[in-house]
Amino acid sequence: MTRVGFAALVTLAAIAVVAVIGPLFWTIPPEATNPAQSLAGSSAAHPLGTDELGRDVLSRLMHGSRVTLLVGVAAMLAALLIGVVVGAIAGFKGGWADAFLMRFTDGMLAVPAFFFILVVITVLGTGIATLILVIGALSWMPVARVVYGETLRWKTAEFVVAAMSLGVPAPRLLVRHILPQAIPSLVVSATLGVAAAILTESALSYLGLGVQAPFPSWGNMLQRAQIYVFTAPVLALYPGLAITVVVLAFNFLGDGLRDALDPRRRR
Amino acid sequence: MVVGQEVARFLFQRIALGALVIVFASALTFFFVNLAPGGPASVMRFDVTAEQREALIKRMGLDKPVTQRYVEWVAGAVHGDFGTSLLTDEPVAQRISERLPNTLTLAGAALLLSIALGIPIGLIQALRRGSALDHFLSFFSAIGLAVPVFWLGIVLILVFAVSLRLLPSAGVTATGDDTVLERIRHLILPTIVLATTILPTVVRFMRSAAIEVLQEDFIRTAHSKGLAPRVVVTRHALRNALIPVISAIGALVPRLLGGTVVTESVFNLPGMGRLALEAAVGRDYPLVIGLTVVGATIAVATTLLVDIAYTRIDPRVRLA
Amino acid sequence: MRLGLSSFLFRTTAAMLVATLAISACASPTQPGTSAAPSAAQAGPVSGGTVTIPIGADPTLNPWSPNAFVESLFINRVLFDGITKPGKDLAPAPDLAESWTTASDGLSWTFKLRSGVKWSDGTPFTADDVAFTFNDVVLKPDLGAQNRASYAAVKSVTVVDANTVRFDLSRKFAALPSFLAYNAGILPKHVLSAEPLKTTSFNKGTPVSTGPFKVDKYTSGQSVSLVRNESYFGPKPYLDKLVFTVVADPNTQVAQALAGDLQIMILDNKAAVDRMKSAPGLSVVARPLVQYYWLSLNQTDSRFTDVRVRQAFVTAIDRAAIIKSVELGYGSIANSPITPALAAYYDPSLASKYPYDPAKATELLKAAGWTPGANGVLQKDGKPFQFTMDVGQRGVLEPVNALIQQDLKKVGVIVDLNTMEWNSYIQKDVVRRDYTATVNWWTYPSDPDVFPYYHSSAAGKGFNIPGYQDPKLDDLLVQGQSTSDLEARKAVYKQLQQYTSEVLPYLFLWYPQEIDVLSTSLNGVPELGLRDAMHYAGEWWLAKK
Repeated sequence: MTRVGFAALVTLAAIAVVAVIGPLFWTIPPEATNPAQSLAGSSAAHPLGTDELGRDVLSRLMHGSRVTLLVGVAAMLAALLIGVVVGAIAGFKGGWADAFLMRFTDGMLAVPAFFFILVVITVLGTGIATLILVIGALSWMPVARVVYGETLRWKTAEFVVAAMSLGVPAPRLLVRHILPQAIPSLVVSATLGVAAAILTESALSYLGLGVQAPFPSWGNMLQRAQIYVFTAPVLALYPGLAITVVVLAFNFLGDGLRDALDPRRRR
Repeated sequence: MVVGQEVARFLFQRIALGALVIVFASALTFFFVNLAPGGPASVMRFDVTAEQREALIKRMGLDKPVTQRYVEWVAGAVHGDFGTSLLTDEPVAQRISERLPNTLTLAGAALLLSIALGIPIGLIQALRRGSALDHFLSFFSAIGLAVPVFWLGIVLILVFAVSLRLLPSAGVTATGDDTVLERIRHLILPTIVLATTILPTVVRFMRSAAIEVLQEDFIRTAHSKGLAPRVVVTRHALRNALIPVISAIGALVPRLLGGTVVTESVFNLPGMGRLALEAAVGRDYPLVIGLTVVGATIAVATTLLVDIAYTRIDPRVRLA
Repeated sequence: MRLGLSSFLFRTTAAMLVATLAISACASPTQPGTSAAPSAAQAGPVSGGTVTIPIGADPTLNPWSPNAFVESLFINRVLFDGITKPGKDLAPAPDLAESWTTASDGLSWTFKLRSGVKWSDGTPFTADDVAFTFNDVVLKPDLGAQNRASYAAVKSVTVVDANTVRFDLSRKFAALPSFLAYNAGILPKHVLSAEPLKTTSFNKGTPVSTGPFKVDKYTSGQSVSLVRNESYFGPKPYLDKLVFTVVADPNTQVAQALAGDLQIMILDNKAAVDRMKSAPGLSVVARPLVQYYWLSLNQTDSRFTDVRVRQAFVTAIDRAAIIKSVELGYGSIANSPITPALAAYYDPSLASKYPYDPAKATELLKAAGWTPGANGVLQKDGKPFQFTMDVGQRGVLEPVNALIQQDLKKVGVIVDLNTMEWNSYIQKDVVRRDYTATVNWWTYPSDPDVFPYYHSSAAGKGFNIPGYQDPKLDDLLVQGQSTSDLEARKAVYKQLQQYTSEVLPYLFLWYPQEIDVLSTSLNGVPELGLRDAMHYAGEWWLAKK
């Protein structure tokens, strides 16, 4: 793997560690208000300062990382699940199922996802679970395409044909023999998918439709910080920078993995 | 002619499928939006009494069952009547056609910028693969993709409009001074911001496509024939590399349209993206479905055009 | 030239940091300074000039349309004169009517209308227009006109002669003249008799109006420009043009004001006030509002029917801190529904009631039967004091609820916040009344008649959100409506204020102030909230530089 990819992996691991165990050490609650201390600069007690209600920015950033990463990873997993199922069935069955599923996929790809998410969220409300489901349900299409391609490619391979003639049932064939071949592409899709999901969540939070108060997420921290852009612009800097770094890292990790796992690149 | 028949059948199939997609998308959106809690913004006000609500709901025809309303809408849509906006009592078609040019201009400009910058940059990266320049450009374009659109927008406004006073902060044009120059000035920042949603992807596609092509045998042959490197690159490599890139760009148009929602909000542009947000939030059902139809049509039409162009350029591809 | 990757990375990051620092430096107010006062009138008002005001979205140019939201009322108050308008002391002042009297039985009001008023298309204005506006638009139930509820007591409007109308009432309604000054513009019968509320060429185009300015051009999504109405019945307006520009984002409004593109605006984003104060050419003023924020505890929940619990909550919430951090000090603590802006009626002696005192709050809760249980959470009969507050996403509600949640936590009451998109919030809390507690505000006409929000008949489906029912309060409310004698009303409403501050049907939180930003060359704007000041747009003038 490239140096950059490795650096990205390390960065993400560090962020994940801080997200999980950071709050055990830095115990200021993210929702603890202290109006007397609003918009204070950095100090020993508040290394990143406080927001408009006197809440500790570092704590909110840490708890926000949990929410942001949770939504990103979970949405990607949901997308993976749906995408794998759709792509595998379409590729393996062929014929009618293939035509219907892949045209359905094309159809979903053609509709501007953001529009759709907007409408669905105004219907289902704005819980974290809804957000994960909705972002996942609209990001599975590229995964399906990839799995479809891989399934088509590998279902005529010798070892698969051999297994079929031995009477191995289709599901087992898929799970044990075909899908594992798709893992490198899926891993790459997954890392890029998390990045995209994080960006979508923060854009939705900006519009007021994402993760809601009182849960802090980097996206909704950015939205609140907008109001103070003239008096305390650093409030927007921290979450913005955090989003950028994490999304960058996932992208570089994806690129690095693609280079490392791509059989053609192994020269 | 055999080719003519194939093309016709292909076109027919794709258009039929496209129409199906549009119908499916619009129906799904319609039923979803009507399921939403709440109602049109004019009904959902703190200072509206219960009887006023009932009167308004009746006036807007919202007391009829959802399926009946959908059928009525389709009947009208087939004749070009997309219904009346609940929030302004204007015809939906008029509201959309007011805003559509602004969004198309913005999206078009962003697309052009991405192509004009993305293709050369991707090519340079491929030619200098592995160099520091390559890494730097990758990093830079990855940042473009990673930075939240609205953050970038606000930062640019603060720097260029408030601090430096070079460019306007919002709007499509200066009030009372509607010239082409002003329109262009107002377009600069939003275009840059919107382009960041797809430019990095265009660069990345171009880079991998160019790398693949440059490794092909025929390139080596061209070199060994003694052709000048520049000729090799432009005449042979570039043209072949463009093939997958064009189809990829076509697939990016929906992402571009989605990006207009946030961009138009930040820069206060009266476009379709912002209209979609207002319509969804204000539960303006006829407007929502009208917008979905238009959005899906644009996306489907673009992918179709791109695929047709693709088959023209690449003789290896047959119309399946 | 081979430069290492790390060097490039360093440079890029450094550039980003510099950019952000540059922004911070430009944004932070470095100069201390008082805000410049408007330049003193030299030789008096001069004619000419254009004033630009920002509004949040495309307006609907029809004050009675259900689609006329807050952005519409600024422009509608300029275009459509009402029978009365808010006076500079907030008492109703003549507008289309010159004078008015009430009958001795209090069941009708007669208004003598001005003569010689013309619509902007030349047609004369008459009593028929008033009768049309009320009988055929406002009072027609199936049209769903806005603000209908304010006229529940009006049976019909009768034309006595070409310049006189009479409002016939079903009960005494002393506040009618004040209510007629509140977003109650008169519509032209000769244009709108067919479809009064849905005529697009009127609502989104060039309406026919009587005001000092009339619509010249409506560019959707961008601006509505008005020009001087040469046949206006009052003194000739000074300004040539009044432009309402559509600017949805409050930060963009700030940026435009700083760039000198706006001459007057409400500073929605109060956090930018310091930046505005230090800007040359702009002056910042605080204006009174007829508005108060409240916390409603649903009276169908038995925990909240004990007045000691309500008083305890009000004592446990640090309202001064809320005003300081959320309204940046622009507001004062509220203990009754009558705002200080209604100077004739407001009782200042109540201002210091219920000072912030968590210990006292705990005592009150204890007296009501709530004692600390596990981890300090109050409990009664084994059940912890815990409930959910619905938070509508609008304005300052989110931070306010966060502060209240923390304040109540300190006295052992656990509040879970359920933040909702505004439309869904209205559906749940207002339409279905399915809520336990929620924070919101009331804005109302410049009259202390708060009957619709407090009377027991308004509980359940009306505007009595908590559902508080109290015959003594009902009695005071009706008394206030039944007499037009100012001194008598003052006495009644003083009693009302004392009583409501004791029994707390709503928990009163604070009276906000409005921050207005004006260009220093703009004069003639009265010291009223901008909504009320719009009625005087004909008197605004721009000093020549």
